[in-house]
Amino acid sequence: MEKINIICVDDERDVLESVSRDLDYFSDIFNIEECESAFECLALLEEFDAQQKYVALIISDHIMPEKSGVELLTEVAMDNRFLGTKKLLLTGLATQADTIDAINNAKIDNFLEKVWDPKQLLQMVKKLLTEYIIEKGIGYEEYIEKLDAPTLYRLLKS
Amino acid sequence: MLKRNLKYTLPILLPLIVLLLPADSFALDGLTLVEQRVIAIFVMATLCWVLEPIPIYATSVLIIVLELLLISDNGLWFATNSAPEQQGQLLSQTAIMATFASPIIMLFLGGFFLALAATKYRLDINLARVLLRPFGYNPKYVMLGIMLITAVFSMFMSNTATTAMMLSILTPVLALFAAEDLGKVAFALSVPVAANIGGIATPIGTPPNAVALKYLVNENSISFAEWMSIGVPFVVVMLFIAWLLLIKLFPTSTQQIDLNIEGIFLKTPKAWLVYGTFLLTILLWLMGNLHGMSSYVVAMLPVAIFSIFNIINKEDLKNIPWDVLWLVSGGIALGLALDKTGLAAHVVDAIPFNNFHPLLLIVGASMLCLLMANFMSNTATANLLLPLVATLGASMHSLLPYGGQVVLILSVTFSASLGMSLPVSTPPNALAYASGHIETKQMAKIGIIIGIIGISVAFAMLFIMNKAHFIG
Repeated sequence: MEKINIICVDDERDVLESVSRDLDYFSDIFNIEECESAFECLALLEEFDAQQKYVALIISDHIMPEKSGVELLTEVAMDNRFLGTKKLLLTGLATQADTIDAINNAKIDNFLEKVWDPKQLLQMVKKLLTEYIIEKGIGYEEYIEKLDAPTLYRLLKS
Repeated sequence: MLKRNLKYTLPILLPLIVLLLPADSFALDGLTLVEQRVIAIFVMATLCWVLEPIPIYATSVLIIVLELLLISDNGLWFATNSAPEQQGQLLSQTAIMATFASPIIMLFLGGFFLALAATKYRLDINLARVLLRPFGYNPKYVMLGIMLITAVFSMFMSNTATTAMMLSILTPVLALFAAEDLGKVAFALSVPVAANIGGIATPIGTPPNAVALKYLVNENSISFAEWMSIGVPFVVVMLFIAWLLLIKLFPTSTQQIDLNIEGIFLKTPKAWLVYGTFLLTILLWLMGNLHGMSSYVVAMLPVAIFSIFNIINKEDLKNIPWDVLWLVSGGIALGLALDKTGLAAHVVDAIPFNNFHPLLLIVGASMLCLLMANFMSNTATANLLLPLVATLGASMHSLLPYGGQVVLILSVTFSASLGMSLPVSTPPNALAYASGHIETKQMAKIGIIIGIIGISVAFAMLFIMNKAHFIG
């Protein structure tokens, strides 16, 4: 079974750790990576692409020095190599302009406000992973215990 | 760690050993080189299908390619240039490749086109909505309705797609059940159980049936309508039993249940064409005797009509489950090799089956099939067992009073679909298990009981049909 990757990006170490901790539920089947900046994330994406690894989901903070989360996710959205990759923006201080950019340019799949409810994050990630796996045509059977059943049914029906 | 490595090494090592052993070590007189290679391929197929180091459809493709390389008249140079009496009967390359497009594969392709069009034009969900209405709000009867509809749909659509559809209808309702209510379990189990059973009713209901059709030829050939006249009563009886079991084992405390399915029938010209073609195809399948077209020929009509009118477009073609077609092809190719090289007959001759009581044989083969189907794919089970069972059935004259080859093949085929006691047994089981409402032991409980009752019902029914001179 191939390990599918989830990348978390945040410049604050403790926030990053807390996201990782909340996602621990997935860690036996999925690979969870931590990045402290947008650049680190982009470098990691290059590496994964070279090894032909699946990147199912990027969870990014918005406000970061040098390159913001929306800028990062926009770049990923424009990149053909990561067409199916799901994007989740985790933010507390987004202006309306940021939100508009996030939807129009970064084509984010989900918005979650800081401080988040771990249960809600888990459910959201489950859903996004299910969508990624079905859309990519990866065999869902091996990941079934960590997937979101209703989403799985909806996507398999057609 | 060792266990993980065995999965990869055994399917390579054991067949190699079989290939390299001297021909006289097999206890089969006059074993030819070709037959020995077929044994090696068979061993490899068994190990690959049981241990699953590669996807099950990939195993099928591997079988076909190995047959082309090792036992075809256009294979590898060293595989084709031994002395004829030592080498044995080579197969023609066209015969092996033709298994990808055998009439049975085309029958399934037709079925896929129907199912795809039905989903695309929402025929399935709209039919479910209309058909469920008469079952009211009493949980018991709603469940009966769900099971009937699931079974009917799985006769013409894949069991997996049917299960996914019915479970997605049920999901919002299951969320309303109290946490302790066993009724939730009953509902979540009712869908895969009905889907697994329902597939038995028609030749296109589930892939093991396709594999069986391959061996029901000449005087034993069975038409679409004949299959249904055996399959439908069986499915009706089994559904009723499964329903009783579910309401007894998992009683619900909920008084009323309301399935709210949204939607209206599409009324575009294309949608009407889909409804018409669907109806026409099924009618033609059922009236084979009147017009003389075989079910294989009829199956090509929806393929043509839906393609011409762009009802199934280029993108939809990609959604056809080609892996299922390949999986069945591999089984057909394996059977072809066992049969045409003479190996199956050779093996069957070597074992004194005629000393066994024929009933013991039918029961034994079916139980083995049921057991295997619980732990591995139903289709792979059918692929492995049916070629041997078919040869056995053809050679055993003591079987004739009990319906001969047909009864043996049908009971083994039905058994393959009755393997449903674990989440890994069938894709519908896996999906239902993913709903999170079911524990493995609850699934095992209902699955084992249905498996055993199912086999008994199948025997009883085939016995009656044989007595009535309906088959055999």
